[in-house]
Amino acid sequence: MTSHRHAFFKQDMLFLWLAATTALCFGLLINQFRDEPLPLIYKGKEERLQVAVESLTTPAIPAASPAPVAENLPEFLTLEEFAEFVDKGGLVLDARPEIFHRLGHVPGAISLPRDDFERAFTALREKLEADKAQPLVLYCASSSCEDSELVKKSLMELGYTRVAVFKGGWSEWQAAGKPEKSGQ
Amino acid sequence: MITFPTNRWFLLALRILIGGIFVYAGAQKIGSPLDFADSISTFQVLPPELINLVALGLPPFEVLVGALLIFGVFQRQAAFALFLLVALFAVFLLQAIVRGLEVDCGCFGSAAPTVWSAWISFGRNLFLIAGCLWLWRISRRSIIAA
Repeated sequence: MTSHRHAFFKQDMLFLWLAATTALCFGLLINQFRDEPLPLIYKGKEERLQVAVESLTTPAIPAASPAPVAENLPEFLTLEEFAEFVDKGGLVLDARPEIFHRLGHVPGAISLPRDDFERAFTALREKLEADKAQPLVLYCASSSCEDSELVKKSLMELGYTRVAVFKGGWSEWQAAGKPEKSGQ
Repeated sequence: MITFPTNRWFLLALRILIGGIFVYAGAQKIGSPLDFADSISTFQVLPPELINLVALGLPPFEVLVGALLIFGVFQRQAAFALFLLVALFAVFLLQAIVRGLEVDCGCFGSAAPTVWSAWISFGRNLFLIAGCLWLWRISRRSIIAA
């Protein structure tokens, strides 16, 4: 019985080692065929966004030091303040992944996803650079997501001075029964 | 003492269910390794040098071993491998819950991390641990009996 157990354990561990090695080789192989292969060393969300911001600051946009949010635009907006901002036609940016923006977003909001910041910002550059002091409000999925705050930090590093966040995000907007729009 | 059924149809259903969960979970994650790496990082256990390797290697491992379990090929070894995987994951989850971390297990693709999602994952894990352990023991017994 004990010898059986010992033999089983050895076989099980050998299988585990072989399966793990095969899976890792397969995973590394598929990775090479991706449009954007995952690097071997992990970089956090904030670090990745920082790399994107650094590539955007040269040479087209001169680096600007972060400035405080203007007095008449609070750092964080409540649902009422955000709804008023939307009604007045203020520039709203959706920091969620683009697929979620397509499925449904705040009317008038433009997609500026955290996970694809470099490409999306380049596409919006003309609109955003027209006035770096224009009020911008960001939102993401809910109060527990961090995308809007990360994108806000990046925009401020790029020289935008009036950037605020609607903390409640899409979930609070939807729960309040506010108007929605889908598509681009 | 708890006794588990040994009916062959029950065991087949259990193998398909558990193997299917792992094949589905692995297939979901193969397409978006970056999201899975972000989920792994919320546990604050692995160093950056290992996170991406796990994000690339674990999903194919789940698909491979889950499929072997479904088809009953290397059934005992597959059940053992999956048991170790879910047991290790339960330890990671528990430390996250104790530390009050907001984690997203990333098991079936990514979602917004919350404290509750950790408890839900932990409950699902208990079922998987029991199922894998049972399949492993049954396979050992049947081989010894033969």
